[in-house]
Amino acid sequence: MREIWNVRPRAERNEKIEEALVTAQPLLPKNAPFTPEEIDALNSVVARTTPQQRAWLAGFFAGFEAAQAGGAAQPAAAPKPRQPLTVLYASESGNAEALALRTKKLAQKHGLDAKVIDFADADFATLSKAKNIIVYAATWGEGDPPSRAVDFYNALMSEEAPRLEGVRFAVLALGDTAYAQFCATGKAIDARLEALGATRAHDRVDLDLDYAKQAAEWTEKALGELAPAADAAGTATVVHVDFKGSGLVAEDDEPQFTVENPLTGEISALVNLNGSGSTRETWHVEIAAEARGFSYLPGDAIGVVPENDPKLALEVAEAVGLGSDGSVVQKLRERYDITTLSRPLVEAYAKLTRRTDAAKLAEQEAFTRFAADRQLVDLFETYAEKLSPEQLFGLLRPLPGRLYSVASSPKAHPGEAHLLIGAVRWESHGRKRGGVASTYFADRRKVGDAVRVYVKPNRHFRLPEDGNRPIIMIGAGTGVAPYRAFLEERVELEQKGKGWLVFGERNYTNDFLYQLEWQEHLASGSLTRIDVAFSRDQPEKIYVQQRLWEARDELLGWVEEGAHIYVCGDEKGMARDVDVMLSRILAESARGDDEAGRAKLKELAKAGRYQRDVY
Amino acid sequence: MTDKRSKNEFIKEASRQLRGTIAEGLADVSTGAISEDDSQLTKFHGTYLQDNRDVRGERSKKKLEKAYGFMIRVRLPAGVTTSKQWLQLDAIAGTYANGQLRLTTRQTFQFHGVIKTNMRRTMQAINAALLDTRAACGDVNRNVLAVANPYLSKVHAAAHELAVTISAHLLPRTGAYHEVWLDGEKVIDSSGPAPKDEEPIYGQHYLPRKFKTVIAVPPSNDIDIYANDLAYIAIVENGTLAGWNVAIGGGMGMTHGDLDTFPRTADVIGFCTPEQAVDVAEKIVTVQRDWGNREDRKRARFKYTIEDRGLDNVVAEVNRRLGYDLQPPRPFKFESTGDPIGWIQGADKKWHLTLFIENGRIKDEPGWTLRSALREIAENHPGGFVVTANQNLIVTNVPAKGKAKIEAILKEHGIAIGTDLSGMRRNSMACVALPTCGLALAESERFLPELITALEDSLDRAGLRNDEIVIRMTGCPNGCARPYLAEIGLVGRNPGLYNLYLGAAFNGERMNKLYAEDVDKAGILRLLDPIFVRYAKERQQGEHFGDFAIRAGYVRPTTAPNAFHADLNPVKVQAAE
Ligand code: SRM
Ligand SMILES: Cc1cc2nc3c(=O)[nH]c(=O)nc-3n(C[C@H](O)[C@H](O)[C@H](O)COP(=O)(O)OP(=O)(O)OC[C@H]3O[C@@H](n4cnc5c(N)ncnc54)[C@H](O)[C@@H]3O)c2cc1C
Ligand SMILES: Cc1cc2nc3c(=O)[nH]c(=O)nc-3n(C[C@H](O)[C@H](O)[C@H](O)COP(=O)(O)O)c2cc1C
Ligand code: SF4
Repeated sequence: MREIWNVRPRAERNEKIEEALVTAQPLLPKNAPFTPEEIDALNSVVARTTPQQRAWLAGFFAGFEAAQAGGAAQPAAAPKPRQPLTVLYASESGNAEALALRTKKLAQKHGLDAKVIDFADADFATLSKAKNIIVYAATWGEGDPPSRAVDFYNALMSEEAPRLEGVRFAVLALGDTAYAQFCATGKAIDARLEALGATRAHDRVDLDLDYAKQAAEWTEKALGELAPAADAAGTATVVHVDFKGSGLVAEDDEPQFTVENPLTGEISALVNLNGSGSTRETWHVEIAAEARGFSYLPGDAIGVVPENDPKLALEVAEAVGLGSDGSVVQKLRERYDITTLSRPLVEAYAKLTRRTDAAKLAEQEAFTRFAADRQLVDLFETYAEKLSPEQLFGLLRPLPGRLYSVASSPKAHPGEAHLLIGAVRWESHGRKRGGVASTYFADRRKVGDAVRVYVKPNRHFRLPEDGNRPIIMIGAGTGVAPYRAFLEERVELEQKGKGWLVFGERNYTNDFLYQLEWQEHLASGSLTRIDVAFSRDQPEKIYVQQRLWEARDELLGWVEEGAHIYVCGDEKGMARDVDVMLSRILAESARGDDEAGRAKLKELAKAGRYQRDVY
Repeated sequence: MTDKRSKNEFIKEASRQLRGTIAEGLADVSTGAISEDDSQLTKFHGTYLQDNRDVRGERSKKKLEKAYGFMIRVRLPAGVTTSKQWLQLDAIAGTYANGQLRLTTRQTFQFHGVIKTNMRRTMQAINAALLDTRAACGDVNRNVLAVANPYLSKVHAAAHELAVTISAHLLPRTGAYHEVWLDGEKVIDSSGPAPKDEEPIYGQHYLPRKFKTVIAVPPSNDIDIYANDLAYIAIVENGTLAGWNVAIGGGMGMTHGDLDTFPRTADVIGFCTPEQAVDVAEKIVTVQRDWGNREDRKRARFKYTIEDRGLDNVVAEVNRRLGYDLQPPRPFKFESTGDPIGWIQGADKKWHLTLFIENGRIKDEPGWTLRSALREIAENHPGGFVVTANQNLIVTNVPAKGKAKIEAILKEHGIAIGTDLSGMRRNSMACVALPTCGLALAESERFLPELITALEDSLDRAGLRNDEIVIRMTGCPNGCARPYLAEIGLVGRNPGLYNLYLGAAFNGERMNKLYAEDVDKAGILRLLDPIFVRYAKERQQGEHFGDFAIRAGYVRPTTAPNAFHADLNPVKVQAAE
C-alpha cells in the first residue's frame, strides 16, 4: 500500500475521507490518540475496509496483545473457520506470478486462506490436498508452457495425474493474440482439471496483453465463487490471526509504475553499438528515470511504452478512409496496436464488414499464409472498407509495452536505466517494416526526448546471494544486456566471485557489443574468462553452444565449484540449443545419457543455479 | 655504460628467434590486437597489425576497440604464380580478407583486414597454396624481385632463378613460423631457451633493418634497382649471361624535416659470375648485419651504413669476406622503369599480356569486375601470372589461339587492357596509404586516380595524352611507391597536402628534386599545367619530361646518390583555396 500512499496528493486523500464519511465508514475521531497526520493516514486505510478486514484488524490487535502478554494468542472472539485456497501460477516473465501474489492478498478479504505455489514447485500432493484452486497460466514459445512450468504441466497431463473429485477450480489464461496458439497452456490446464473430476467454480478467461483490468475483475468474481458462503454476507466477526504464520509478512512487491501507469523518463544516451558496415543494429539506450518507487535490480526487465511510426499510423487510417482525421491518426500512433494481425481481429473485421472473402481469410491455413509476413495495414488495404473511428478502434487492442532486460546496475548508474535494443526491420510485399518499439528508439527518438517506462521485476534471473559464487553468463546478441548489469553490480558490491562470459554475434569487428567494457572487467578481474562465437567470420557457422562444448571440462569444473549458469537472449535462435548442449555436457560428467544430463540440469534449475531470461 | 640499442633490438633478442608471445596473443579473444612487441615480431612472419583508420572516430563511442585487422604479405620471388595458386589466393581474399587482392610495388600480393581469429586459418591456406609469408616484412632480406616475366628469354629465366635462390638462401631458418601459424600447438614455450644455432646467417638479432634485393635485365629497369639495398644487373655477352653487375646502397625512405634521412640511389660496385652471385649476397648481408646502425632505426638501413663507413670500406670488407675481389662493373644501359602494357611475344613464341592494374588493387565493382575476370582467366588458362614491380599483372604463356578467349573474358567483365590509357596513367603508381596504413599522412591510392584524370585535361590541351610520363604518389615520405624516382613525385605531408618533386630520370637512374611544398590538388594542377604546355612546345627530340624539367630550370638535377636534399629552391605557393 505504501507506494499508493506516497503518490496520492493530500487533497485527494481528504476527498477520500469525505466520501467515506458520507458512506458512513468507521473513521477514527479527531481526538483519537494519534497525530492529525497519523489519523489522516489511518483513516485513509480504514475508510476503505470491508467488514472482513475490520474483523481481522480486531482479531489482530486482540491476538497481538495476548501474544505480548506471553501465552498463546487468545482470540478475542470465537474464530471463524477459514477456507484454504491454492493459487497456482505458470509464469515466465512474471505477469501470472504477479496476479497470483495479488490474489493471495485479496483472498484474505474473502476470508480465504491462500497459499501461492509456482508450477515449478508444485506436485500431485499440492493438488490432491487442495480444496479450492485458482490457476494463472501464461503461454510461451508456440503454445508451450513457461519453461519453469513444463515438468508439472506434463505430469498434470499424464496418466499418473490423480483424480480431483471434490476440488473446485478456476483458470485464468494469459496470452497474446499475436500468437497462433492463443492461451494454449491455460486452456489445456482448464480442460485437464475438469477431466480429472474437479468442478469448475468459475469460467476461464483468455486474456491478451492488456489483461490487467479484466484479470482484476475476474479474480474478484472467482474469489467470490470460491469463498465460503457466510463471508459473502460480511457479518463482522473477529478473525483469528496466527502469528507464527506469514500473516505479518507483506510479500507485496508490486511495482508502482506499470504499463498503464508508466514513469516518464528522458533519454540521456542513444548509440548504435555496431560498427559501420555491420549487418546488425543494436542500440544502447540510457534513460534518466528518477522517481520514488522506480527501482530495479540486475536481472529485471524495463518495460517501454512505445509509439507507432506516424507514417504507418497515417497509412492505416487512410486504408479505412480516415486519413484526414488528425485525432484518429494521433490515437493510432499513440494508443493502439496497429501492426499485429491476429486471427480474432480478422474474424472481427469480417463480421463487421460482412465480407465473405475476409471471412475466408480468417480460416486457419488461409490466415497463417496471409499473416506470415503481413500486418494490419495489409488486411485493411487488401480488403479495403471505409470504417468509422469507433468501428476502427473497436477492432484494435491497446498498444502493448515492450520489455528489455536492464543492462545497468542502479548502484553504478543511480537514477538511470540502460537498455540494449536490437532494431527489428524487414521488408515484405513492397513495404519496409519495422518493430514498433525498437524502431521507436532507433528512428524516432533522440537524446533529450521523453520515453515512458516501467519496471518488470524478474525474481528468477538474479545474481547469487553469495557474491563468491562463480557465474557463467551465456548470451547472444542483446542477450548480453543483463550481464553488463550483473558485472557492474558485482563491482559495486565488491563481490569476488569468478565470472565467465560466453558471447555470440555475427562479426567480431563490428558486433562485439560492449567490447571495451568486457576488456576493463577482464583487466580488473571482475570477469575471469570470455569466449566468443562469431557466426559469420568464417565459412562454417560457429555458435555459443559450440564454444560451451569446446570448454566443457572447464565448465563442469565451474559447476562443481557451485557456479550459477545464466542464459539470456533469443529462445528459438539460441537458448534452446544452449539448453540441449548444457544437458549434453552435464551428461558427459554423469557418464550418462542425455536423460541423466537433463535431470542434472533440472536439479540446477530447481536450486536456482540455472536461470534463463529468454524471449 | 648504458646499452643504447634501439627498442627493437631488445625485442628481437628476447623473442627466442621470433616466437615471442605471439601464440598466447592469438589465443586472447577479448581483443583483435596483439601486444606491441609481438606486432614487431609478426612482421618477420609477413604480417602487420593494422586498423581501419576510416572508422577510428566512431569506435570508442560505440564501446568498440579499434577495427583491427592484419595485413598479410606473401613471399613471391620475382612475382611468379601458377594459375592454381592464383585461384587459391583469390579464395583466401574472399573468405578471410576484405574481398580484395593488392599487388604491391615489390611483385607480390597483400591481403588486408584479416581478423586475428582467422590468422592461423589464413596462413595455413597460404601454405596450402605452396606459398609462404616468411620474411615478407621485418629486419631481414625481403621478397626478392626480378625483371618481370621469366618466360621472355633465357636471361630472364636466369634472373628469376637467382631471385628464387637468394630469397631461399637468406630466409630466416627459425621454426617459429611453422610453430606459430601452421602446427599451432607446439610453440617452444616461453620458459625454454631459444634454440641457439637456428640462424647461421642472421643470428639472434637479425639485421638492423629491412634489406631489399632485386635482379634486373637491361634495358628494363622495371624493378628500380637504384631503390634497393642490393641489386644485380644481368650482363649479356654474345647472347648468353656472362654474370651480374652488383649495386648496393639504394633506398627511398626518409623523414620529413630530418635531413639526416634521405632517399639514396644505389652505387654499382662491381661484377660477379653467376656462380658467385648467391655468396656475394650472403656476404653483403653479413656486412650490414655487423656494421649496420642498431641504435637509431631511422638510420639503420644499409644506405646509411655506406654513408657512415664509406663506400670503399664497405666494398673492401665485402671483398675480404668473399675471399676475392669483385671484378670491375661492365657496361649496361637502362631505358625505362615502366611495363609495356599489352601483348608481347616471348622467345618461345608464347604470348604474354601485361594488364594495367591501377595501383595494384584487384576487386570487383558494379560493371567492372576485375577480380572475377582474373579468376575466370585463371580457371580457363593454365599458363600462370607474373606480378610486376609497377603493380601490374602479366598473364603469361598464352598460345596464339588462346588470346581471343582471354580478351573475351576481360571484355565481358568490363576490363580494358590499358593500352589506350594515357601515357601518364600507364606509368603511375600509388602506395596503399589510407585507410589501412598506420603511417599515412595523406591519401594516396584513393587519390591519385582522380588527380590523373584532372591532369589528363592539361595533358590533352598540351597534346601529351600519349606521352609516357612517370608519376608516383605516396601518403608519407617512406616512399613505398618509389616516388623519388618518378618524373613527377607526390609525397603526402598532411591530409590533402603533398610535396611535389620533379626531374627524375625516365629510366630510374636519377632521383627528382623538391619543386613545391604542401600543395593541394588545385595547386598541383596549377603548377603542372604550364610546365606541360612548355614541355610540349620546347622539348627536344626524345627528351623525357624529367630531363626537360631540369633543362628548363624548374629544378636542379640530383647529381649524386646522396644529394637528394642539395640545391633546393622550391617555388613559393600561396596556400591554395
Ligand atoms: C604495399 C607496399 C606499397 C604498395 O602500394 O605496393 C608497402 C606498404 C607499406 N610499407 Fe613500404 N610498401 C611497399 C614497398 C616499399 C618500397 C618500394 C620498394 O621496396 O621497392 C619502399 C621504398 C624502398 C625502401 O625500402 O627504402 C618502402 C618503404 C617503406 C618504409 C621506409 C623504410 C625506410 O628505410 O625508411 C616503411 C616504414 C618502415 O619500414 O619503418 C614502410 C612500411 C610500409 C607499411 C608496412 C606501413 C607500416 O610499416 O606500418 C605499409 C603497409 C601499407 C598497407 O596497408 O598495405 N615501407 N616500402 C609495398 C609492398 C612491397 C612488398 O611487397 O614488400
Ligand atoms: C523478458 C524479455 C526481455 C527482453 N529483453 C530484450 C532485450 O534486452 N533487448 C531486445 O532487443 N529485446 C528484448 N526483448 C524483446 C523485446 O521485448 C521486443 O520483443 C523486441 O524489441 C521487438 O519489439 P518491437 O516492438 O521492436 O517489434 P514488434 O513491433 O513487436 O514486432 C515484432 C514482430 O514483428 C514480426 N517480425 C519481425 N521480423 C519479421 C520478419 N523478418 N518477417 C516477418 N515478420 C517479422 C514478428 O511477428 C515479431 O513478433 C525482451 C523480451 C522479453 C519478453
Ligand atoms: C517469446 C514469447 C512467446 C509467446 N508465445 C505465446 C503463445 O504462443 N501464445 C500466447 O497466447 N501467448 C504467447 N506469449 C505471450 C505471453 O503469454 C504473455 O506475454 C503473458 O502475459 C506472459 O505472462 P508471464 O509474464 O506470466 O510469463 C508469448 C510471449 C513471448 C515473449
Ligand atoms: S608510403 Fe607511407 S603511406 Fe604509403 S604505404 Fe608506405 S608507409 Fe604507408
